Amino acid sequence: MTPVLEARDLHRHFGGVRAVNGVSFQVGEGEILGVIGPNGSGKSTLFNCLLGQLVPSAGTVLLDGQDVTGMAPAVLNRRGVSRTFQLLQVFPQLSARENLILAGQEHVGSRLARLFGRPDAGLTAAANRMLELFQLTHIADLAAGGLSYGQQKLLDAAMAFMAGPRLVLLDEPAGGVNLTLLGSFRERLRAMNTEAGATFVVIEHNMDFVMSLCTRVICIAEGKVIADGAPEAVRNNADVIEAYLGH
Amino acid sequence: MVGLLAQVLVSGLAIGAIYALIATGFSLLWQGSQTVNFAQGDFVVVPAFVMLGVRGLGLPLWVGVLAALVVSALVLGLLFKRVLVDPMLKHGSLQLAIATMALSIVIQNGLLDVAGGEAFPFPGINGGIDWGQIFLDWQSLIVLAVAVAAVTALNLFLGRTRTGRAIQASAQNPQVAVLLGIDVARMILITFLINAALVTLAALLISPIYLVKFNNGIGIGLSAFSAAIVGGFNQVRGAVVGGLVLGVTETFAATFGPDQWRDAVPMLLLILFVLFRPEGILGRREERRV
Repeated sequence: MTPVLEARDLHRHFGGVRAVNGVSFQVGEGEILGVIGPNGSGKSTLFNCLLGQLVPSAGTVLLDGQDVTGMAPAVLNRRGVSRTFQLLQVFPQLSARENLILAGQEHVGSRLARLFGRPDAGLTAAANRMLELFQLTHIADLAAGGLSYGQQKLLDAAMAFMAGPRLVLLDEPAGGVNLTLLGSFRERLRAMNTEAGATFVVIEHNMDFVMSLCTRVICIAEGKVIADGAPEAVRNNADVIEAYLGH
Repeated sequence: MVGLLAQVLVSGLAIGAIYALIATGFSLLWQGSQTVNFAQGDFVVVPAFVMLGVRGLGLPLWVGVLAALVVSALVLGLLFKRVLVDPMLKHGSLQLAIATMALSIVIQNGLLDVAGGEAFPFPGINGGIDWGQIFLDWQSLIVLAVAVAAVTALNLFLGRTRTGRAIQASAQNPQVAVLLGIDVARMILITFLINAALVTLAALLISPIYLVKFNNGIGIGLSAFSAAIVGGFNQVRGAVVGGLVLGVTETFAATFGPDQWRDAVPMLLLILFVLFRPEGILGRREERRV
């Protein structure tokens, strides 16, 4: 079966620095792939190459078998790739519900419908379902900028699912989320993986979160994949331990 | 005395509503593209001259209004963005602001060269409502009604339509808006076209009161800029409130004090707000990353 996402010998250099240095991996349909690695290992650069925010120096990115290397993020979004952000990126003056509608509205209707169609683009029901799923119904009409950090993080994640994506790239979803919320957040993501059939790639530092959420994990160090396999196997891999602990 | 107060209040609100229109455009351009347009006052004068020019050809006023709308959209919207804003913004907001000051001088001297230095009368509406002690002129009432309707329509457009929401998103977080598939460049262009429509409407409403003169833009621009600061530069609602506050204060000062106070009030309010409440009446404090 064709993988949803495939990176083939991906490189990204900044002058003499090889931030991503020959990374190859595949993500299958419905898989939750975790990407771990120490700070400065090249995870974020890899993510940006996959999302079209950086053009790779060499190598190929394939989405459903089609070459999308260097394709603009907006085009990738229309092809079913969405993402969450390490730093909060909601629209602060819009309500939580409006943020969700906005995240889906460019995927429905013609240009004409954008001008004369329903103001909510027919997405209010979907937004309400998402609010319910992420337990945000009580703050639906509040301005997103006034929500707590954890609530904004949940909203950011919920927005990633509004367009019914095939592939969601989650950038440190657990960062800054308190322990009480973290468990419920993980369950929400699992539910989206099962119910919506979305495939995930997750960059995360919280090892417990990665190990309990992901079905497979790759570890990157100095721009290269040093381990790829089941979460427990990667956690116990000698190269991974050395990369984290240092020499 | 009650009659005079009511008349001054309505006149002040009418002038303030026009300032609100112009300041709203100011605020939209800032939010949408970090453009501080110091030629905004002159942008009001250009369509006024177009309307007068078309009338000079013996055509009715509504033809002049249509012609002014087209000229504004093409020159003050599209051309302004493509020729001045886009290239200058790459160098920074400050450089762009200075370039708009230069544009203001170019427009004023261009108009002086073409139309001369005299003040041209503009067709208005005579008469009013006479309630014994209180007389309210139609001109002010209609200006107030039209300006309030325009600002309300704009707010509904921004808040209740898909395009309006996309414009807001593009202004609040353009990087993420792009990732959501929003055509941010198109949204910014729409804000420039909205501004062009707003200054044309303002020209139609203010010209019967201030007449049409090549350098009217200096005072109008300064008042609108002050209104945007007083109300809150990063809020469209703030621009509306600031415009009304400024219009009423200015008119009361000019009526009950020396006439020169009319010009001093916007500057005084501007200084007070910059010193003691820089975010304005309804604005939000903003962090800027450097």
